[in-house]
Amino acid sequence: MTATESRAAAAARAVVTGGRPGRTPAPAPRGPRRRVALLPTAALVVGALYCVVPTLWILVAATKSRTELFSTSTYVPSLGLGLVRNVRDLSDYQGGIFWRWMLNSFLYAAVGGALASFVSAACGYALAKYAFRGRTVLFHTILAGVLLPQIVLAVPQYLLLSKVGLTDSLIGVLLPQLFNPYGIYLCRIYARAAVPDSLLEAGRIDGAGEGRLFFSVGLRLMGPGLVTVFLLQFIAIWNNFLLPYVMLTSDDKFPLTVGLYSLLRHGAAEASLYSLVITGTLLSVLPVIALFLSLQRFWRIDLVTGALK
Amino acid sequence: MAPTTARPRRTSRFPYLLVLPAVLLLAAFVVAPGCYALVLSLQRSKVNGGLLGGGTHTVFAGLANYRDVLGDTQLRSGVVRMLALGAVTVPGTVLLALLFAVLLDLEHTRLRRVTRLAIFLPYAVPGVIASLMWGFLYLPATSPIGGDRVDFFGQVAVYFSVSNVVVWGAVGFNMIVIYTALRALPPELTESARLDGATERQIVLRIKVPLVMPAVVMCTLFSVLAALQVFNEPNTLKPLSNAVSSTWVPLMQIYDQAFGNSDIHSAAATSVVLAAAALVLSFLTARIIQSRVQREAE
Amino acid sequence: MSETPTRRRTAAATAVLCAGLLLGTAACGGGSGGSGHDEAGGGGSGGSGGKKVTLTFWDWDPNMGKVVATWNAAHPDIQVKLSNPAGGDQLVAKMITAHAAGNGPDIAKVEYQSLPALVAKGVVRDITDYTGNTVKDYDRTTLSSAEFQGKVYGVPQDFAPLMLFYRADLFKKYGLAVPRTWDQYAAEARALRGKDPAAHLTNFDAADPGWFTGLAQQAGADWWAADGNSWKVDIDGAATRKVAGFWQQMVKDGSVAKNPSFSPEWNKQMNDGSLLTWISGAWAPAQLGGIAPATKGKWAVAPLPAWTAGDPATGIWGGSATTVTTDSAHPRQAAQFASWLNTDATALTEQVKQINIYPAATSGRSLPVLKAAPAFFPNQPDFYDRVAQVASGARSFPMWGPNVTVTFTGYTDAFSKALQSGGSFSGALTTIQRASVADMKKQGFTVG
Repeated sequence: MTATESRAAAAARAVVTGGRPGRTPAPAPRGPRRRVALLPTAALVVGALYCVVPTLWILVAATKSRTELFSTSTYVPSLGLGLVRNVRDLSDYQGGIFWRWMLNSFLYAAVGGALASFVSAACGYALAKYAFRGRTVLFHTILAGVLLPQIVLAVPQYLLLSKVGLTDSLIGVLLPQLFNPYGIYLCRIYARAAVPDSLLEAGRIDGAGEGRLFFSVGLRLMGPGLVTVFLLQFIAIWNNFLLPYVMLTSDDKFPLTVGLYSLLRHGAAEASLYSLVITGTLLSVLPVIALFLSLQRFWRIDLVTGALK
Repeated sequence: MAPTTARPRRTSRFPYLLVLPAVLLLAAFVVAPGCYALVLSLQRSKVNGGLLGGGTHTVFAGLANYRDVLGDTQLRSGVVRMLALGAVTVPGTVLLALLFAVLLDLEHTRLRRVTRLAIFLPYAVPGVIASLMWGFLYLPATSPIGGDRVDFFGQVAVYFSVSNVVVWGAVGFNMIVIYTALRALPPELTESARLDGATERQIVLRIKVPLVMPAVVMCTLFSVLAALQVFNEPNTLKPLSNAVSSTWVPLMQIYDQAFGNSDIHSAAATSVVLAAAALVLSFLTARIIQSRVQREAE
Repeated sequence: MSETPTRRRTAAATAVLCAGLLLGTAACGGGSGGSGHDEAGGGGSGGSGGKKVTLTFWDWDPNMGKVVATWNAAHPDIQVKLSNPAGGDQLVAKMITAHAAGNGPDIAKVEYQSLPALVAKGVVRDITDYTGNTVKDYDRTTLSSAEFQGKVYGVPQDFAPLMLFYRADLFKKYGLAVPRTWDQYAAEARALRGKDPAAHLTNFDAADPGWFTGLAQQAGADWWAADGNSWKVDIDGAATRKVAGFWQQMVKDGSVAKNPSFSPEWNKQMNDGSLLTWISGAWAPAQLGGIAPATKGKWAVAPLPAWTAGDPATGIWGGSATTVTTDSAHPRQAAQFASWLNTDATALTEQVKQINIYPAATSGRSLPVLKAAPAFFPNQPDFYDRVAQVASGARSFPMWGPNVTVTFTGYTDAFSKALQSGGSFSGALTTIQRASVADMKKQGFTVG
């Protein structure tokens, strides 16, 4: 057990140092400063380019007016006010509904992510820290939940939710996404690794109730892991298309994915609004990149690997 | 895998309270819809009669829908296409992720921080939007990557075009998973190998890669699951060319049955068959992983 | 390592499963025991009677909001709330799913070809009783798209005969004449390839079945027809085979492009002049503004080429009706709105301006607004006169089938495949015919 803990700690350290090489003392002594592994660096740069090229193209394309989009060279950005005009056109489209979609996406992802993390934390903590009847079965059933494709459940979910009048509502989109088998799995591991039984026992001897132990000891110690679970679920909800597409009929409740898709597949025999779609795509990618850059310190994906030791 | 908990308490009702929200959600949004799908799969919708049908009623159909599903040649070719895509995406994702992770972990590589972030970023781009971006890159009209000379939607090429979008979106996450596993390895291991005169390549191939095998296996499992559920990418690329049909992969067929033809009963039957296949496949994969992990623990 | 006894495990599994089932059935029972769809009303349509009602309206027309606002200002007691959940065929799917849950809107825009399917599934309501006066404003041909077996299921919005849109400037440049027959059209397509290898006269669109059905209608095809209470399905009949054969030859010669219409690729070709014609409906001017903004004023319109010179027959592409759903608790008010939308002079004028519809209502066709050219066709002030001329020779199928989505998906899949792998178009037609008939039988229709 101690070995596991120290490894998890090492992994955590690795993320931090990996994030800013050079600033904190590296775990292994470095060779001469000037030696640069050219080939590996080049390979990484190629990989990085591969990953950003589509985004760069979108950036270039978003500077073009509707006329220019399909009539000018694809490499060259337009130097006019194309981008400004495109953003203005997009903001004018149906009374600025695009920004509504953006707001909705954030709302769904943030609220859903937070609630799902709490549900996962509670369940994972219980699975890790208590022996109770049905524990193993429950855990396996939850894991099996990963295997059911969402599309299989979408229609029955819609039909069942409509029986209780929850379709086309915030709740209808949120509720099905609160159950996150993978989050529960991670929380179970994290509760095992980060919440020592001795601490809980000590608390019990001091007369603390189980509830208080969970909130003040369990949740606190699992904190960094919960951020990971939150961000994973945030991204999962942010990226989700099918559930809101099935569940929602009012376009003012759409998240970005459904909204942009509706712009693309506008209607039968109707011109797609490509320049609006491209601008919308750009604007929808930017905030997530910003979020990532600002939160990357809190990412603890090492938990995923810690699990397998 | 030895339990890390020392002596969990058996008496309290508290654990049930803790798992209650998850269990309720599981029951309401996985088990209940799953059972409902089972029920739907045994039914059929029939029109009431007359030229225009005059509304529909539901009849019990027994296993007729399943018979149709199993005899469906479109579904069979969809499964073959899905497997073909998986044959590219699973090794593609895992090997690229492993390669990048190993390179990031080398001592003398530069630009690590920025490349690591860049490779990770596609993870935050929704599949629908990623497919849209790549679609524009593929089409001759807008392609900056030679789409006017290469037909990215050719009969064979289209598999690689779709796979590329999948790999693009997945490689970053898997890379980070493997990379963090690499960083967690005790430095003494590589140090002593180096003192013994091992080259950097030997250290990578003989020490590092075998040690992070569990992480690689896990990535493989993720990728297999994703390959079974491939949908967003081909579905979004469909209207851009003639290459992708409405039943191109199994999930697209389910989608088409449910939302195109509004035949939820066929969709449910296809779903059940597919989910059963997925369960068996993942169960086998999980078994393999478990035995591997156990072997390592011993 | 202690293992939970198998028996206990199974028991717990059963418990979990039962809990789920209970929850599921409880959820099912809760709704179906209730009063069905009346309370759902799709967005808060409250009580009835003389009180204020709010109706939900699903429509994907751009700028429809302005038209609805006009109505809302004049009718404080019947407020219409517009939503755009999806376009075209996807909206049909949404309507059917919503209806299964009793959540449908009050009013919805439905394309003519989808109407029989929605009637068959009981989604759309018979509004004969509310539209006695309205239908007097329609001629027989137009009304037949929304009236089946003497019952009215929607108020027709627009009418879209197929026409030939061509680049007047490029026709001049390459010395092409406006083709009057399909033979001439094919000859010019070949000739153009010789003059400019980068240009095509048009593209064969495997993605949009509405386009192809229009061409089949012109050739005299009757894909569906009623025979008492049974259906006759004739998708791969002689007339359609003639059309398919014609285009197969064009594709084989390489005289037409193969990419789907409305794709980015096609948009580019329409913009840069590598496509010279577009066989399209009367709504094309509004779309061209979005598709090829660089070509404003360069297009002209002509009747569709004929199979025999001088034959005025043409088909239709698209066109919609405003329908009232069976989920609506206020069908009278909903029908009132649908009638206003499609026959009121103010409403129609606004729609001509905003959406470039060619009105289905007879009175709408002589509105002053139709005297002016559409904004994208400043060079063609007699645009709507030409549409009116062509409209008199337009024919549709006697009736659209009750499962057009299956037929249309079949078209896209089969023809795309034929284009992609060089298969035969007539083989594709056989595939579509088989799939359509099989599905109709499966649903319980009688097919003769």
